[in-house]
Amino acid sequence: MVYTNNQLHVIYGDATLGVNGQDFQYIFSYERGGLESLKVQDKEWLYRTPTPTFWRATTDNDRGSGFNLKAAQWLGSDMFAKCTDIHLKVDNHDFSKLPIAPIDNEFSNQEYANSVEITFTYQTLTIPATEVKIIYNIDNDGHIHVTMHYYGKKGLPPLPVIGMRFIMPTLATGFDYQGLSGETYPDRMAGASHGNFHIQGLPVTKYLVPQENGMHMQTNKLTITRNTTQNNADTFGKFNLTIQQDKQPFNFSCIPYTAEELENATHIEELPLPRRTVLVIAGAVRGVGGIDSWGSDVEDQYHIDPEQDHEFSFIIN
Amino acid sequence: MKANIKWLDDPEVYRVNQLPAHSDHPFFKNYREWQEHHSSFKQSLNGKWRFNFSKNPQSRPVDFYQPEFDSSSFDSIQVPSEIELNGYAQNQYTNILYPWEGKIYRRPAYTLGKGIETDSFSQGKDNTVGSYIKHFDLNIALLGHEIHIVFEGVERAMFVYLNGNFVGYAEDSFTPSEFNLTPFIKEKDNLLAVEVYKHSTASWLEDQDMFRFSGIFRSVELLGIPDTHLTDLDLKPTVVNDYQDGVFNAKLHFTGKMEGSVHLSVEDIYGKTILEENTSVKPTIAISDKLLKDIHLWDNHDPYLYQLIIEIHNQSGHLIELVPYQFGFRKIEITTDKVVLLNGKRLIINGVNRHEWDAKRGRSITLDDMKQDIQTFKENNINAVRTCHYPNQIPWYYMCDQNGIYMMAENNLESHGTWQKMGQTEPSDNVPGSIPQWKEVVIDRARSNYETFKNHTAILFWSLGNESYAGSNIVAMNDFYKNHDNSRLVHYEGVAHRPELKDQISDVESCMYLPPKDVEKYLQDSPQKPFMECEYMHDMGNSDGGMSSYIKLLDQYPQYMGGFIWDFIDQALLVHDSISGQDVLRYGGDFDDRHSDYEFSGDGLMFADRTPKPAMQEVRYYYGLHK
Repeated sequence: MVYTNNQLHVIYGDATLGVNGQDFQYIFSYERGGLESLKVQDKEWLYRTPTPTFWRATTDNDRGSGFNLKAAQWLGSDMFAKCTDIHLKVDNHDFSKLPIAPIDNEFSNQEYANSVEITFTYQTLTIPATEVKIIYNIDNDGHIHVTMHYYGKKGLPPLPVIGMRFIMPTLATGFDYQGLSGETYPDRMAGASHGNFHIQGLPVTKYLVPQENGMHMQTNKLTITRNTTQNNADTFGKFNLTIQQDKQPFNFSCIPYTAEELENATHIEELPLPRRTVLVIAGAVRGVGGIDSWGSDVEDQYHIDPEQDHEFSFIIN
Repeated sequence: MKANIKWLDDPEVYRVNQLPAHSDHPFFKNYREWQEHHSSFKQSLNGKWRFNFSKNPQSRPVDFYQPEFDSSSFDSIQVPSEIELNGYAQNQYTNILYPWEGKIYRRPAYTLGKGIETDSFSQGKDNTVGSYIKHFDLNIALLGHEIHIVFEGVERAMFVYLNGNFVGYAEDSFTPSEFNLTPFIKEKDNLLAVEVYKHSTASWLEDQDMFRFSGIFRSVELLGIPDTHLTDLDLKPTVVNDYQDGVFNAKLHFTGKMEGSVHLSVEDIYGKTILEENTSVKPTIAISDKLLKDIHLWDNHDPYLYQLIIEIHNQSGHLIELVPYQFGFRKIEITTDKVVLLNGKRLIINGVNRHEWDAKRGRSITLDDMKQDIQTFKENNINAVRTCHYPNQIPWYYMCDQNGIYMMAENNLESHGTWQKMGQTEPSDNVPGSIPQWKEVVIDRARSNYETFKNHTAILFWSLGNESYAGSNIVAMNDFYKNHDNSRLVHYEGVAHRPELKDQISDVESCMYLPPKDVEKYLQDSPQKPFMECEYMHDMGNSDGGMSSYIKLLDQYPQYMGGFIWDFIDQALLVHDSISGQDVLRYGGDFDDRHSDYEFSGDGLMFADRTPKPAMQEVRYYYGLHK
């Protein structure tokens, strides 16, 4: 297939929407409610569809102050994503209904566009429930502009984090980023210096009890490098994926574990063998606190207000 | 005198035949020994000792100190080390609750209107016993001298025997215990026997938030006492004339032959002599009010130390003892508007609390551990240390002098579990409180701390202890320091629970973990004393957020001195995990120890393996703002 005019090749599937270009292939799953495949230069970057994330593995301060008890509903919403709506827009055409069978019978293998925008709406499993939208906007170069919007609602419990979680099929060999040195949080970033940093492997900070760790605030650019895939027909060699800031710098952590895996371990050696890469892009990060570890909460200005809207965006190259 | 195991139950018996505490100055035979850092008057007894472990006093080998005792079944143990970390006894970590919680009912002697519980510790089923035996010959250099033995640290009570004779008894785990062995010593084949109990009434006073170990965990050495010997050196350098000049005062106490001469000199760092005195040996020599013009002051940025050299010559003029000691000139004071000044400038404490800790050796730390910690302090703008909550190993004080680290030198005292119960203040069985029978033991701890370390320039504050509530006995400790030392401030946080005693205890208002807003409230309300946080920024796990809220108060309120972060290093033990095949760090509860406070032992800026936590860059930044 030769791509002309740098346009996106759109594949109107029966359960998915494919968006292909010269060296990328994206598949959005209507069934799984998200981006199922992010293939760049023939390498798959997704193990499961990215979802909103709301939980962080509780810190000693979180437990000591009882934040874990107040915020517990978000743990369920973090583990289980309930997709309630999918909306598709190709160039200027807004699909009022998803183009699945029989609607997609009208298409061919020669469908091209300059831009594709697909929006997944999720309902949180909290009481009350609220909504989150993740909007993927793909330009004709294949850049994916990702925007996540959280709708605040009165009466929601306090929030550990608002972000998106990407789980990659294999362990990264490391990552490079432009941002702040070390592990930073909103209330602990004054001592960091700005620069370019290379991190070898996916180190987990060895707190005695595994907990939230590895956050990098105020990042301009992140490149993750892997050298293995799960594809039995693949050859080995380094390849990478880059996340760029959009309007604002972003915050991220990149470790081999989900918040739930960390939460369940009482010692670092109890964590599973590292085999995947878990990237969290966080729009709102709660501080870690430090006044004490038996009652004092994180200072007010470093809380995430669950009753306010929160939006963040970034670009996948 | 015969040893009596009942001493373990009696708070009024805490030292028997122990020599009085005195300054920690080293002494050498000559200049060459000083250069080589090796005194021939000193014979180390560190190394392999014979050892027997007993689960309780009833099962101990009672006669193990007798020369005819057959110790062939004894194991061997390394001295210094923790008994628990040799696998004999269970590791246990507990914070406030006493280690016997839920196992044995105890109340401290003389509380609740009662007397001594006669079997509380002497027959305590949890009271493990280490029976240590060391055979030794005297080094040739020690022959013919009076021989002392110094135990630098033994948890928690010990009976010492030599060649079948009872030598003495000591408590106070973190303070040197010195005995005179001369009456019983032989040139060769001496049999030293030390019976170490994990618990005694001292356990009520040593309820620090830490792993509860026992054993001979610091060095042991013999001292050969020169014919004429400087037993105590009491330096009182002061700063006068608008911080320009110094006044040198010293008291020297001698034992042994009162003949020959003493030559005392003080040199600056270029070796220039700025003071020189010659006098004949007397029991006490006072060098009084020597004015030294244009002295170089000591502080964190410029830890300038003068070299004091004391030579003792015998009647024939031969050098028989050489005592070098470094000291600095510095002045700490409180202004009328309650600002603390050091050398006329506002003092700011960028401090940490530091437990002595090594992930493999527990509290039996090494010189290398100490050197690394000083290095870490310097790299991260940490300028002060609180020796929480006990006196540290002696070399640490010298390192702080030399590196300009301000010290809060704390007594070995914490009785947290006798007054705080499930978070509530409930002091009905509190010790030392105001109970007469608990007075002398805590005064003794104050005295030992003072006498041992009084010459260290780095010490700016004496601390009466930690979390021990307050009563007339703590007032008496405060008085002890005030009566002996007008060159430093006294600190005690626990008086917060008895505000009516504030005019009798502590020169500074000290809190722990007071949120920034409440610190500000105190500072806004015409503070009666300068304010510090003796513990703040609790660094448990992923923490140390919000430091700016404290640091900005330094700019707004001159009465705020800053504080000591809790704490420097995680208390966790490196053990081999057979499942993962890795060496891993373990904390409270990981040894089936109950009651435990679990991961609460890990609150450091450093992981237990002495690598820094990510929070360290934040500390380096904020502590760099008011250097």
